[in-house]
Amino acid sequence: MTAFEMIQIFAGFIGSLCFGVLFNIRGKRLAAAAFGGFLSWSLFLAASRLIPNEPIDYFIVAAAVSLYSEIMARILKTPATPIATTSLIPLIPGGSLYYTMTSALESDFNDFLGKAVSTLKLAGALALGIILVTTLSQLLFKRIGRRPEKPKKYT
Amino acid sequence: MEKLLDCVMDIGEQMLVSGGEVHRVEDSLKRIFTAYGAARIDVFIITSSMVVTIHTDDNRIFTQTRRITEYTTDYEKLHKLNELSRNICADRLSSAEIKTRLAEISGSRTYPLWLEFICYATIAGAFTLFFGGGYGEAAVSFLIGGCIRCTIFFCDKVVRNKIFTKFISSFAATLLAFSALKLGLIPMADLTPTVELIPTADKIIIGNIMTLIPGIGLTTALKDLLVGDSIAGMLRTIEACITALAIAAGYFAVAVLSGGAL
Repeated sequence: MTAFEMIQIFAGFIGSLCFGVLFNIRGKRLAAAAFGGFLSWSLFLAASRLIPNEPIDYFIVAAAVSLYSEIMARILKTPATPIATTSLIPLIPGGSLYYTMTSALESDFNDFLGKAVSTLKLAGALALGIILVTTLSQLLFKRIGRRPEKPKKYT
Repeated sequence: MEKLLDCVMDIGEQMLVSGGEVHRVEDSLKRIFTAYGAARIDVFIITSSMVVTIHTDDNRIFTQTRRITEYTTDYEKLHKLNELSRNICADRLSSAEIKTRLAEISGSRTYPLWLEFICYATIAGAFTLFFGGGYGEAAVSFLIGGCIRCTIFFCDKVVRNKIFTKFISSFAATLLAFSALKLGLIPMADLTPTVELIPTADKIIIGNIMTLIPGIGLTTALKDLLVGDSIAGMLRTIEACITALAIAAGYFAVAVLSGGAL
């Protein structure tokens, strides 16, 4: 692991922590979300060593981190989305969005198109990874977790 | 039942405003009304409007609608509302009880404003490092991040328009970054693995864009779309795209005004 990668992981952790504060997450949930930021970039670095394909890495990491937040959500009895969105902050393709803008400014059309498509790919992979896990867990918990509710008249 | 419907609509509205997904809110409302023994429940929610009709088992029908105009992501509130709706399902609280619990939740604490300033600055600084900027660049970015929060603060006071606020913030971020570059405040890149000898404003702008980017909006949008809430998903996608365009427009405005001297 290079020094730069360690800085990235640490910065990802700080970024998630601060976004958690901006979203008014508190206590243990904030700790879970910030740790998720650390986790998501570490996993991404590990995945990118094994599979040198960014969108696929994004997909895998998004799925793994969503799984992590579903588990934490069950433990902390809270919705999973806040933890998932905050944890995945380091994966938001801000850099590639910026470079897409600069190439648009230089009116280099081919370059712009290529970068725009790759930015969209990353965003799509991120969303797909999250959806895969949330949908699966919803299906699973509907099957197992729901007890029959006896309706009672409201007076 | 009418009072109850009103209270539960309040819960749904607050959930939606504080960042709950359409799917979650619809599900919670359905569960609550099922717990109170409604014979039929029709819930239709999109990001800007809620329509709920319930049929009671003695053949009375109640409908209420709500218009939602403003969102502020507040996950603490969402957490508490989620807890409340669980409690309601389990214990079937009376409408008066729900009212008091709701009032408690909407009066719950938020982080102080100064902490928000620090967070904006820290996010900008951290992501400048993250995308390969040096410590000096991160420091400049940190300061600009604080300024961006100020910009947002004043924009919100003057015009209550999120798109415009994003445009102005992006404009300010780019302008400040380029001014820092022109004034020679940005030290040479000292950390980048690819050796860059010319100082650039790139990393600083990226760091600040990270605070503005509608990343969560877009992910929620795609999620809504793929879960089957097409209308809500499309509305959110369009909103996120327009926000991204506003950020790009702010950047372009500075670039064009400075005569392409980048």
